[in-house]
Amino acid sequence: MNDKITKVEFTNLKKILFLKMQITKAQIIEYYIKVAPRMLAFLTDRPLALTRFPNGIEKQGFYEKNAPQGTPTWIKTIKVFSKTTRRSTNYILCNDLDTLVWLANLATIEIHTPLSRVDSLKKPDLIFFDIDPEPPATYQKTAEVTLLLKEKLDNMGLESFVKTSGKKGFHVVIPIIRKYTFLETRKFVHKIGKQLAKEDNRIVSELTETKKPGKIFVDYLQNSHGRTMVSPYSLRAVPEATVSNPLDWKDLKKGIKPTDLNIFNVGKSKKDPWKRILERRQKLPE
Amino acid sequence: MENKFKTNIPRRPIWTGNLTIGLVNVPIKVYPMIYNRGLTFRFLHRSDGHPLKYQKVCTKDEKVIPWEEVTKGYEIAKNEYVIFSKEELDAVKPESDKKIRLDKFIDYFSVDPIYFDKSYALVPNKSDEAYSLLLATLEKMGKAGVGRITMRTKEYPALIHAYNGAIVLTTLRYSYDVLNPQNFEELRKLKEPQKIELDLAVRIIKDLSGEFDITEYKDRYKQEVEELIKKKLKGEKVILEKTVDEEARGLMVALRDTLKKLERK
Repeated sequence: MNDKITKVEFTNLKKILFLKMQITKAQIIEYYIKVAPRMLAFLTDRPLALTRFPNGIEKQGFYEKNAPQGTPTWIKTIKVFSKTTRRSTNYILCNDLDTLVWLANLATIEIHTPLSRVDSLKKPDLIFFDIDPEPPATYQKTAEVTLLLKEKLDNMGLESFVKTSGKKGFHVVIPIIRKYTFLETRKFVHKIGKQLAKEDNRIVSELTETKKPGKIFVDYLQNSHGRTMVSPYSLRAVPEATVSNPLDWKDLKKGIKPTDLNIFNVGKSKKDPWKRILERRQKLPE
Repeated sequence: MENKFKTNIPRRPIWTGNLTIGLVNVPIKVYPMIYNRGLTFRFLHRSDGHPLKYQKVCTKDEKVIPWEEVTKGYEIAKNEYVIFSKEELDAVKPESDKKIRLDKFIDYFSVDPIYFDKSYALVPNKSDEAYSLLLATLEKMGKAGVGRITMRTKEYPALIHAYNGAIVLTTLRYSYDVLNPQNFEELRKLKEPQKIELDLAVRIIKDLSGEFDITEYKDRYKQEVEELIKKKLKGEKVILEKTVDEEARGLMVALRDTLKKLERK
């Protein structure tokens, strides 16, 4: 019966991967199975970067882009040559449930993806604003700034989607048609950041200013070829087992606490706030 | 395939000679009786299916060494060897005098089975009368003869006894090859049990006593693999059924639900 449902052979299911919350690998796998229907469409055709913690998140983990040795032949991979490192990397593509379950069985905690898809890696289909607060900036303030950004985008006629980062901040994503280069999308995000910084003195838009206490950084730099964003529904490797969780903009207004969204309560809401993200392809204003 | 698993008579005796009791000689042939009928697999090259072979590789430069260049060394200290040629070792090999001298008869069960090593069937070598007389005597008295036998390069103590209508030779282990359990401190410290407890334990064991039939025990792993071999030969697809533990079973249920959801989309 086993091989009909999944090609994956589970191992070390009882191993505890989140010591503080006593979460076993079986629970990690179960979580990823649960969010698979919402997560897979997003992951499809994006070369993955993983963080794996075979001995639990309290122990040393590792960042992995290359498909590891012993990767089964049924796992889809894609070779990508990098000019800067002059090496090719054999990336994993997660286009189906089996692959996602296999990744979870490898003690993959975080799944990161580029903002573009494999058939056109240099033309992003997503624009990404990383709203990153520097303590003592609170999550309420961060949420306010994030809503300010939404308003700005709304006024430009752009629909945006929001998720918690799973750590302190929020991620705002705009789906676009695939005709712009990363340079163009990066400039666009930087421009908006600068405008926001001018309008609100809590906000900074330059990397050099990020460590100023209490400031909130609108990071544009991830809009680059080879950079990644943590995938919606990915777990984060923090003791509270939080999730980078897609939200309804209304939830943000209600004052949701990003650290409250974790492996135990994510994926239960009936509505998928990011359902339309992949259908909504938008042009940037001239 | 069927033949491979059938018990066959070995083609050639591994030893021929005489059983000697005083002045009486009984010519016999010796055949091995004990087989290890486990499964043997060959290592193959996964991509082309050809068998792999072993090579002797020098630990210094990783070069493959041909047989002519191989010699034996006895390690006297770490990385220090006394070297022997084949001729030198052959010269000191114990010469078998082709005789199993029986110098004593004892009760078979007075030797603890822990010393029993390997059993061999002794078959008359044109000596039917003498053989059958010795066999009948051993059976009648329940005795076993004690002697020694030299096989290949080694001399073994041995018992000669009757088993299932045959004279059987069982080589014995040397006492120094068997660990004395009293070496364990835990065992030396054991206290005598109370008499009441002992009586009770004896009653329980008496209640649980039964007959023993070795044929009830089968190597189940071997049977499963033999089944698989048969199926593979017939070209049937082998479906792997792994026992799914409890945790995995929960995951299977979650998987099935999720698959249904994904199909609906």
